[in-house]
Amino acid sequence: MSQENLDVLAIRETEVDGIRTVLTAGGGAVTAGLAFRVGAADETYATRGVTHLVEHLALHRHGVSDLHYNGATATTYTLFHVTGTTDEVVGYLNGVCAALRNLPLDRLEIEREILRTEAAGRGGGANRQLPLWRYGAQGYGLTSYAELGTWHLSADAVRDWAATRFTRENAVLWITSDTVPEGLDLSLPSGPRHPMPVVTSALPVTPAYIQGEDGTVVMDGIVRRSSAAALFAEVLGRALYADLRQKGGYSYTATADYSPRDTEFATITAFADALPQKQDAVVGGLVDVLARLRAGRIEQAELDTARATFLKAYDHTTDLAAARLPGHALNLLIGHRNLTTEEHKAELAAVTLDDLREVARELYANALLQVPGRGADWAGFTEAPQHSGGTTELGGTRHPSREDASVVLTVAPEGVALSTPGGVVTIRHDQCAAMVAYPDGGRRLTGLDGFQIAVEPTLFASLGPDRIALIDAAVPPAAVVRMPARDPERIPRPRVSGDGEGPGARGLVRHFFQTLGIVVFGLLTVVWAVFAVVATALMFGGSGPGLIPVVGVWLGLAAPVRLFKAVWTARKKTAAESGAG
Amino acid sequence: MPKTEPSARPRFDPCVTMPSLQRLRTAVKAGDWPATESFIASLPDEDDRAFAASLAARIKGAEKFLERVVGERPGEPLPRALLAERYIHIGWDIRSGARAQYVSGEQFRQFHAWLRRAEHLLIELCAEHPAYALAWRARLISARGLELGQSETRRRYDRLVEHHPHHFNGQQQLLQKLCPKWGGGWELAHGFARECAAAAPPGSLVGVLVAEAHLEHWLDLDSGADERYLRDPAVRDELVAAAAASVWHPDFHPGFHAIGAHGTFAATLSLGGHYAEAAPHFRELGNNASESPWNYLGDKEAAFIKHRTTALAKG
Repeated sequence: MSQENLDVLAIRETEVDGIRTVLTAGGGAVTAGLAFRVGAADETYATRGVTHLVEHLALHRHGVSDLHYNGATATTYTLFHVTGTTDEVVGYLNGVCAALRNLPLDRLEIEREILRTEAAGRGGGANRQLPLWRYGAQGYGLTSYAELGTWHLSADAVRDWAATRFTRENAVLWITSDTVPEGLDLSLPSGPRHPMPVVTSALPVTPAYIQGEDGTVVMDGIVRRSSAAALFAEVLGRALYADLRQKGGYSYTATADYSPRDTEFATITAFADALPQKQDAVVGGLVDVLARLRAGRIEQAELDTARATFLKAYDHTTDLAAARLPGHALNLLIGHRNLTTEEHKAELAAVTLDDLREVARELYANALLQVPGRGADWAGFTEAPQHSGGTTELGGTRHPSREDASVVLTVAPEGVALSTPGGVVTIRHDQCAAMVAYPDGGRRLTGLDGFQIAVEPTLFASLGPDRIALIDAAVPPAAVVRMPARDPERIPRPRVSGDGEGPGARGLVRHFFQTLGIVVFGLLTVVWAVFAVVATALMFGGSGPGLIPVVGVWLGLAAPVRLFKAVWTARKKTAAESGAG
Repeated sequence: MPKTEPSARPRFDPCVTMPSLQRLRTAVKAGDWPATESFIASLPDEDDRAFAASLAARIKGAEKFLERVVGERPGEPLPRALLAERYIHIGWDIRSGARAQYVSGEQFRQFHAWLRRAEHLLIELCAEHPAYALAWRARLISARGLELGQSETRRRYDRLVEHHPHHFNGQQQLLQKLCPKWGGGWELAHGFARECAAAAPPGSLVGVLVAEAHLEHWLDLDSGADERYLRDPAVRDELVAAAAASVWHPDFHPGFHAIGAHGTFAATLSLGGHYAEAAPHFRELGNNASESPWNYLGDKEAAFIKHRTTALAKG
């Protein structure tokens, strides 16, 4: 019997309580996963974290148990995962569905706290800023942002989210068992299947670059999902390692990753760390590696090595069907084709050097590169927009900064704008992703494009309660995030010129920006993008790109792919700040 | 090299001091690609090719000709290398050789824009032809102008010498970057020059780097201190040893860089008052000079004549 036939026979599709289900016989413990097509990218900045809240609430009853289980909220799906005896698996899944049907909302306040604590301890990866620059403060960009929703969402809002997204039509189930276990009760409300999140863009010109912190060079780009693209990422990672680590000694870690983003496209991420005195060479080396691959100067041996790595996973996995089951299920969830083992092997075998070159060109064409220190314009990358422009359209009241008269806040019925000597940022209220509101009158608005303006009555002239009221009345209620009172220490105060160290014009502006926390594109944002990406890589890997990532699922969701192991290092300051909204 | 009685005015034009180069200049001016290409292809030495490329890059309007050739011969490395070289030269002309504080923001903007155009060609060229010395050499210059940092400049140098060890002109470029004016330091600069000289085969040009580092150091010091610096017998001995291992070595093959090399030894020794040691270099040069090093000494022609006269009289 051919491998293809084995595959067909091995994975069986059925339905349990209206949930699409895939089964395959496994050996030993039973593993099961229940996944819903909802994740961070389905939220808004104002509701950011609501999916995570539901996941936590659904799991809390399992708090203390020896059972190996987990929950994860990723960019486009939420997963409940368990390994144990048949009875344990049945108990777990029944418990999750019971909780989803009737969320223990008496636990809401506690879970809010837990999530904030979790956020504070979670650093996010080196690539955490890239989504918000690429997509803005919406859709796929939201993985860059703090879970604002955990501060203010009501019990009703959380319940509604569960009722509309955690439905039987919007779910898939997999179990490593050849039959549906007895005793399952997974009844869930009915609701529509949700399409993948809309892809937005905040990058008018690519390839683009942004400036980031020292010690890190990271780049991503979007390519069509394919075996060639997955192989390309492997080739890229090895090429970076060879040039930056082995040859140059500029980096300790230099690698690349392929993670499906949605049904059609994947994100390829390249990462290298760098000693501060070597980081220029890391940028230069990365630019040259990409240029080489784009030029098609790729050795056959590079392709063969990458292909062998993928194929090896088949040789070393005794229970192929079980290993591929999670990926199979998640592809079902998002409507991506599933390949049989033979089909996947055939695709891998068919990839040519020309295919790799085409992926390199596709990647480069929309790449977003984050570099430390100086920019990357010399290498053909265009700086991502630093201002949104558009102030002149707003005809409202003007409020000069108390610190620097060249900085003016405009408050108008249709939006707010901040003009600085460097440029203008405008947020129209109908384009407001979230407005954080403090009882003291301070407001922080974030536009869908990711730009932020902090409206602080203490820092601008004549910015009285009437002006704040005008803003409050105009921002869509769904975007408003009411926060508890701030510690008085955190309410900014103007620094008068002449205070402190030498007040050069630039120094003042810079200080001013720091005081206000005006952040173009959310430096205050926090992410758990990395976890989301990891999970995606683990889960969607089953088809097309191959089964290696899926094997990771067996090791538990904590087993990250190489890239993110390296970049998991925390930036706690950011996380802590985000706690204040 | 002509050894006429050195009394006439020095000649700085390389096409006069090395008449074969006139063929290249004529070819570029005439927009004659076959002649341009065959001239450079006929040079077996990478340093001579680098010299020829920079000569071609100095020819006003050459970019129009080279852009046309690049369009006609997209896969060939030489047209792009020469065009990039020309772009860099145009940029540097706009920037001028002045210290950064005397260069306007607009000058810098245009300077960097030309260098980026050059980089665009060179990134592609190095990706396709990783052993192509002209491209890596040019990228050392663009890295300096774009202020890409020590580590990136060093990386480019490493890529060059990976395939072309003892590439003298590449080493000259890196030496510039290792000087304090480009963010380096004297220890780095002298250390690099000595290291290269020690590793070079006998009779190679590379020993000249030792003199270049001292000359740069001299230029950086205040009046008085600069002369005392070069008077140091230790400096003199190092210069003499470097000259003996390079331009005076029996295996030395004079190429296009030889006039500059003797000039650098002559100037450095003469500035330090070591006339007896400078004199042989002046005799070797006769009336032949080069822009560098004499443009470091003010009026290049006056400086050359003054130092030659003194050295030959006292030495």
